[in-house]
Amino acid sequence: MNDADDRALLEQIAARDRVAFETFFRAHGTAIHRFVRDLVRDNGLAEELTSDVMVEVWRSAGKFGGRSRARTWVFGIAHHKAIDALRKRRATLVPLDDLLGAASEGIGPEEAALRADDRRRLDEALASLSADHRAVLELTYVEGFSQKDIAEIVDCPLATVKTRAFYAKQRLRDALETAEKHG
Amino acid sequence: MTKHDVAELLPFYANGTLDAAERARVETELATCPACAAELRELEGLAASLRAHAATPDELPPHILDAALARIAAPLPATVAVTRLRTAWWGVPARYATAAALVVAVGAAAAAAYHAHEAEVTRAGDDGARQIASTTIVRNAAPPMRVTASKALNTPGGSAAAAAPADSLRTEATVAKHRLARKAHVDLLVRDVEASLKSVQATVRGAGGDIVSLADTNPRSTEAIHEAKLDIEVPADRLESTLDRIGTAGTVQNRSIEAEDVDATIVDEEARLRNLRREETDLRTLMDKGGKVSDILEVQQNLSEVRGQIEQLDAQHKNDVHRVATSTISVQITEDRPNPTPVKSGPGARIDGAWHSGVNALVDTVTALLATLVWCIAYAPIPLVLAGITYAAIRYSGRVRRAVRHPSS
Repeated sequence: MNDADDRALLEQIAARDRVAFETFFRAHGTAIHRFVRDLVRDNGLAEELTSDVMVEVWRSAGKFGGRSRARTWVFGIAHHKAIDALRKRRATLVPLDDLLGAASEGIGPEEAALRADDRRRLDEALASLSADHRAVLELTYVEGFSQKDIAEIVDCPLATVKTRAFYAKQRLRDALETAEKHG
Repeated sequence: MTKHDVAELLPFYANGTLDAAERARVETELATCPACAAELRELEGLAASLRAHAATPDELPPHILDAALARIAAPLPATVAVTRLRTAWWGVPARYATAAALVVAVGAAAAAAYHAHEAEVTRAGDDGARQIASTTIVRNAAPPMRVTASKALNTPGGSAAAAAPADSLRTEATVAKHRLARKAHVDLLVRDVEASLKSVQATVRGAGGDIVSLADTNPRSTEAIHEAKLDIEVPADRLESTLDRIGTAGTVQNRSIEAEDVDATIVDEEARLRNLRREETDLRTLMDKGGKVSDILEVQQNLSEVRGQIEQLDAQHKNDVHRVATSTISVQITEDRPNPTPVKSGPGARIDGAWHSGVNALVDTVTALLATLVWCIAYAPIPLVLAGITYAAIRYSGRVRRAVRHPSS
């Protein structure tokens, strides 16, 4: 779904069109849920926050000024909700493997054990990062946003995004090396 | 550009979102800097790991969307209360307090609404000017059903007034449950059509409505009757109050409201739209996956057909939703003449008509001549004064000329 479609849907949502609302979140809900879940690292809270993001979009669709891409605007709401929730309550850290279930179908037991080990190390390394660093890593490498979009989503200057992306990667590499030494 | 600047741009080079100029700068640096190239390889590996780590099932867990849909369907205050309770530190006591407050508020609102409605019905019953008022509800849901509720408001006395609240409460309950597209018609008899038109226009503007069409037949002949017809759109919740205000512009000859139940139609349209949009998303996903040219063309054709259907259905859906949100009123305004001249026919009537026309024409001509004479008399002082001034000026200039020719005299 391209940005023009997203904008049209947001206009329809602003006019209280529930079908457009459903269509919009069938297209973007999965990514928003994943982003929020990886930020707060609590499945129950992530579900509540995803629902909150959807309701906020329903209420504020009329305020979308069209200055940015529609997807960027919605991710901005999601980021704000997640960071706000993290400030209010300390999320219980749950390993993502437990949340996602075993994703190792169709491979041999040894390879599965190796992959599981890699995933555990990456998961621990991500858990040791700050929410700001996790957000910039997710938005850059998983969601594929540009530096300008990320600046808008996390509401900070462009230069901060560049620096944050650079240091987030450094921290993650350091954390992975530490996890490897201990593992 | 320093190596650090390039290092800061590498993540966005890796995710393919740099603009052309930045990309070119990074590529120039990558060609000459082995450390930068190694850094990029590391970043690409990291990106692949993160994407694999983030892999989730394709579909959003359905209960999340269902929960959001339920919340947007609920009235706003209840939603706000639920959201606050979830995060509030005072927890249980606040829930009981909020629940108690809600019960009291809902009770008070219901009592107020009932009393307000009762007062309105009593006022309507006392209004002797309205001769006929009727409400018709037409359902187009299967099986077809027709419900008619009529009120004779010109019937004075207790029985009609007592029966009215129950009847109209039932009607209102139906209105609240179903989405109704309502159309009203009012016939007004007025002394001055122009003044009444202005009054109706002001009422419509005040109610936040629009005049969709206006036909004002203002005849030259004094015998023909002045008539006007307006089609108005007003917000649905202001239909009754607007009708009441329009009624004050003259004597209401007839007033009727027809309501069509479009709930089933709208629900059906929404379901069909939902399915079509889902189909559209699936087709777009297929398009994105690529494949043979013939397959892509086929998908593109299907997508274009689905898109056309969506647009058509969407327009129809918007129109139906608009019909529910906005009620239409058709107002017929007719000039009230105490003794309108009866229209005659036949040869005698034509000769009679010709005689009357001739006499009328003669009277008109004489009247016009007399009017011109009176006009001339009224304006006579102005040309007389001007003529006097001109005459005096000519005399004065003659004297001056003579004095110049014969200075001694």
